[in-house]
Amino acid sequence: MPDNVLMRLKNVSKTYIMGEIKVEALKETSLEILAEEVLVILGPSGSGKSTLLNLVGGIDSSTTGEILYDEKVLTDGNDRVLTSFRRLDVGFIFQFYNLIPDLTCEENVALAAELVPEPLEVQDVLHDVGLHDRRDHFPSQLSGGEQQRVAIARAVVKRPRILLCDEPTGSLDYETGKMVLRLLVDIRNKYHSTVIIVTHNSAIGDMADRVVRMRSGEIVEIIENENPLPPERIEW
Amino acid sequence: MSTLTRKLFRTIVNTRGQFLALIVIVALGVMIYVSMNIVYSNLAQAQQQFYEENRFADYTFLVVKAPESVVSRIEAVPGVIKATGRLQKDVTIFKDNEERAVGRLTGYPLPVKDELNNIHLLSGRSFDDIASEEIGIIADPQYAEANAIKPGKKIEILADSRKVDITVIGTAISPEFVYPMKDSSSLFPEPELFGILMMPQKQVQQILGMPGQINQVLLDLAPDADEALIKSQVGAILKPYGNIADYPRKNQSSHVVLQAQLDGIKLISTSLPLIFFLIAAGIQFVILSRLIRSQRMSIGVMKALGYNNRQIIWNYTSYALLVSLLGALAGNALGLGMASAMTVLFAQYFNLPPAAMGINLQVVVISFLISSLVAGASGLLASRSVLQINPAEAMRPQPPAIGRRTPVEDWAWLWNRLSSSWKMSLRSMFRNRTRFSVTILGVMSAVVLLMFTFLMSDATNHFFDQSFEQVNHYDYIVRFSEPIKESELLYWNGWDEVQRTEKMMEIPVKAIFSNQTVDDVIVGLEPSSQLKKVSDKYGEIHRIPEEGILINSVTADKMGLAVGDVVTVETVMGMGAVRTAQLKVMDRFEPMTGAISYVSLETANRLLGERQLVTAAMLKLDAPVMPSLEKRLKEMSRVGSVVSFSQERAVYEKLMGTVWVSIGVMLMFAVILGIAIIYNTSVMTLNERQREMASLRVLGYSKGEVAGLIRKETWLQAVIGIVLGLPSGKAVATAYLASATTEMYSLPAVIYPRSYLMVAIVAFIFVWLGQNLSIRKAGKLDMVEVLKNRE
Ligand SMILES: Nc1ncnc2c1ncn2[C@@H]1O[C@H](COP(=O)(O)OP(=O)(O)O)[C@@H](O)[C@H]1O
Ligand SMILES: [Mg+2]
Repeated sequence: MPDNVLMRLKNVSKTYIMGEIKVEALKETSLEILAEEVLVILGPSGSGKSTLLNLVGGIDSSTTGEILYDEKVLTDGNDRVLTSFRRLDVGFIFQFYNLIPDLTCEENVALAAELVPEPLEVQDVLHDVGLHDRRDHFPSQLSGGEQQRVAIARAVVKRPRILLCDEPTGSLDYETGKMVLRLLVDIRNKYHSTVIIVTHNSAIGDMADRVVRMRSGEIVEIIENENPLPPERIEW
Repeated sequence: MSTLTRKLFRTIVNTRGQFLALIVIVALGVMIYVSMNIVYSNLAQAQQQFYEENRFADYTFLVVKAPESVVSRIEAVPGVIKATGRLQKDVTIFKDNEERAVGRLTGYPLPVKDELNNIHLLSGRSFDDIASEEIGIIADPQYAEANAIKPGKKIEILADSRKVDITVIGTAISPEFVYPMKDSSSLFPEPELFGILMMPQKQVQQILGMPGQINQVLLDLAPDADEALIKSQVGAILKPYGNIADYPRKNQSSHVVLQAQLDGIKLISTSLPLIFFLIAAGIQFVILSRLIRSQRMSIGVMKALGYNNRQIIWNYTSYALLVSLLGALAGNALGLGMASAMTVLFAQYFNLPPAAMGINLQVVVISFLISSLVAGASGLLASRSVLQINPAEAMRPQPPAIGRRTPVEDWAWLWNRLSSSWKMSLRSMFRNRTRFSVTILGVMSAVVLLMFTFLMSDATNHFFDQSFEQVNHYDYIVRFSEPIKESELLYWNGWDEVQRTEKMMEIPVKAIFSNQTVDDVIVGLEPSSQLKKVSDKYGEIHRIPEEGILINSVTADKMGLAVGDVVTVETVMGMGAVRTAQLKVMDRFEPMTGAISYVSLETANRLLGERQLVTAAMLKLDAPVMPSLEKRLKEMSRVGSVVSFSQERAVYEKLMGTVWVSIGVMLMFAVILGIAIIYNTSVMTLNERQREMASLRVLGYSKGEVAGLIRKETWLQAVIGIVLGLPSGKAVATAYLASATTEMYSLPAVIYPRSYLMVAIVAFIFVWLGQNLSIRKAGKLDMVEVLKNRE
């Protein structure tokens, strides 16, 4: 196998059982995630994108299959392993920012920084996301785009090797959305992390190194993109 | 069932833990309210009825000796409806086991029913049924039980220096012997050592060799009678016969104790439930406010669909009303059961006729009213916020909660040192001020209850410590049937077992100062006494003056007597002629029990115009109990009673059993209350912060760390509540003790330092329990589910 594989999903599936009904949110799927790539997962609503991302990020457990990270097995049901994986190696960004309302921007970022032995400087990261002068504001005092940038800073400060973004532009306007995407690419370039973006907006696929297309809980195709476009050049 | 109702039930099911905790608090409040009020009304009614049926005297006069004919003269005084003349004297009873007891031989003019303070037969025959040549007595049931005396049994008494055999024909109770105590220096009834012997008056007079004589006059006064006037008129009539004492019903020793007990029950029956109701109201308010906030979207939708404010508010208020209804039902079920058990217990503790086991319907109805009123008020208050919900706004996702700077941040040196999770907890607490205050107040109340409980137990222990460790250092006290010469004690010292003997003189007196007369007992001791010390209720030892008197504050305060004044004392007993002396007040002390003043043995003798007499002796032996010596002492002539100190102590400790039971029950209430409060707060915090906890879990915080966050927040509130509760509890208990102080009984508000620690530990335990009941939820948190959608 190529030595730039960071994570490996082998025949992973997820079935939700709701009473009598079974929902196969993700059918048996295998996927390799490469170091330092920008991977965009595209697909219509309900196609299993978030399910896949949540499995990768270790906040959900698979029904079958195996997930390997750095050749370590994450899927043996050990909460300690998953917690430490999330703590040290993963940064999550959601559509609805999920900031702690009782903490200021700076404190939200510090909250994450306190978790790892060698975090980035909180102030530097706030500079990176362009919010240094608003560091004392509370989430309720910020716009959606600003809140999302705080969420990115919070994810990045831990120096994760993987940044997982579920619909990061979903509740942002066009301009703000593009700015956030730019930020994600900049971060990948600066800190050499892998960035996975889940979106139903196929235009975003143009900025990816690779695009995974999903439909009805299945990966239907994986496209390698020779020349990813810079985010400011893509349009929707 | 309407959809709205179904929604209410679903809400209840979803919050079942909290719903249950609320019911428990309301049920406890109702239980205490119902049981205590019913016990009160049963006992108060029993008391009232018993007093009325047996014509409990309004006023009592004690004289040395008077002819029966004086009664009709007293009856002629305007305002006196009825007067009864009686002969009553304490006699020695020789028990089968060679021990002695004191019998209060009381004469009843026949037919008993026509007279005051008459008796209520419990078993056996009444006086009217016995042959005239037979000498029959009726005993009080507690003496009979303690000494295994059944009707038909003969007992031997010493009366008028002769041994007389009498037959017990029955047992009976009377209003004046509801709580029979030998004298003001005893605190508890001692049924093994003291009993009431009721007998037809003629026979008493004959046995005592006092035909046609009485020494008590009981009065029934007209409702509008001028008591003071009658007191002086009757006092004047009785003056030639040697006035000993007189007192209205409210100062009668048995009545004082019963009334104090009733007043205590009354106080607790109103104040304790109030705490529970207020806490329940506070928690209901907070829970409903939170519920409405979290269901803002649904409320918006309901409004948009056309439901009006009134329907929605009613729906939420119903939650609180259901809590109170179920709580009141459970509380009444428990309370009614407890009430009958407690009534029986109290009726036995006091010599009351089997109390009417009424279920006071009024109390039941009021309990439902109060609990629904409290619930309705808190429900309406909380659901007021429904009015402000605008359907269009509510259906849009809610912006993040508004974080704010807290006052703590002004102390930068502290704030900057705090971890982010501490900052979170502090800000969230300041944001949810109402909940924060309700929790603190709730924990505070539970701690106040605990402190109250511990202080009561400490005060009781202190009392024992004082009476049994600090004050009395003898093993036996021997009282003589008449004063004897000091020199007669000398050869006791020759006995091997005796380490030390000390002399004592007990003289009942009337203290007179600035036109006021108060009954008091003067005890003469050697100032250097080692076997008995005089201690005030705070444990401070007071020296016995060589000259003058060490007066107790109860007597001193009644007459406005201060240190330096000169008080006149008049002896009253049949110890020769009545003598008067002037004593300078050298010192004053606040006694824990009784009204006893102290003088030196020499002063006491001078009071009687005698030299070197004693009425009692204290003995220090090689061992605390020595049966052989006890027997030898009892066989001696003129020995009235021999009391072993450690046996006396055992009797007291047994009697204290009931106190420990009630302390245990209170402790349980406090802990349940505490658990319920903490559980609720902790569940609310958990629900409200699910999203934050999920975010933290995603960031890589472990389950334990996230749960720790919730714990930290609850602990912070709990610790504040505990810290505030400790001094408040002490204040409340002190106030209670002050209000419960009677002339014969005044416990100081003593709390041992260890108890603060114990209260804190118990509080920590209930906080820990309440948290662990709720925190299990934190482990089940589904990150994906919580973070999926906004609301
Ligand atoms: N907790 C759940 N229980 C039941 N079904 C679920 C749950 N979460 C997701 N699903 C179902 O799984 C499928 C995939 O969901 P998801 O991964 O969220 O899709 P996407 O992110 O692509 O919109 C959907 O049909 C969804 O309804
Ligand atoms: Mg999705």
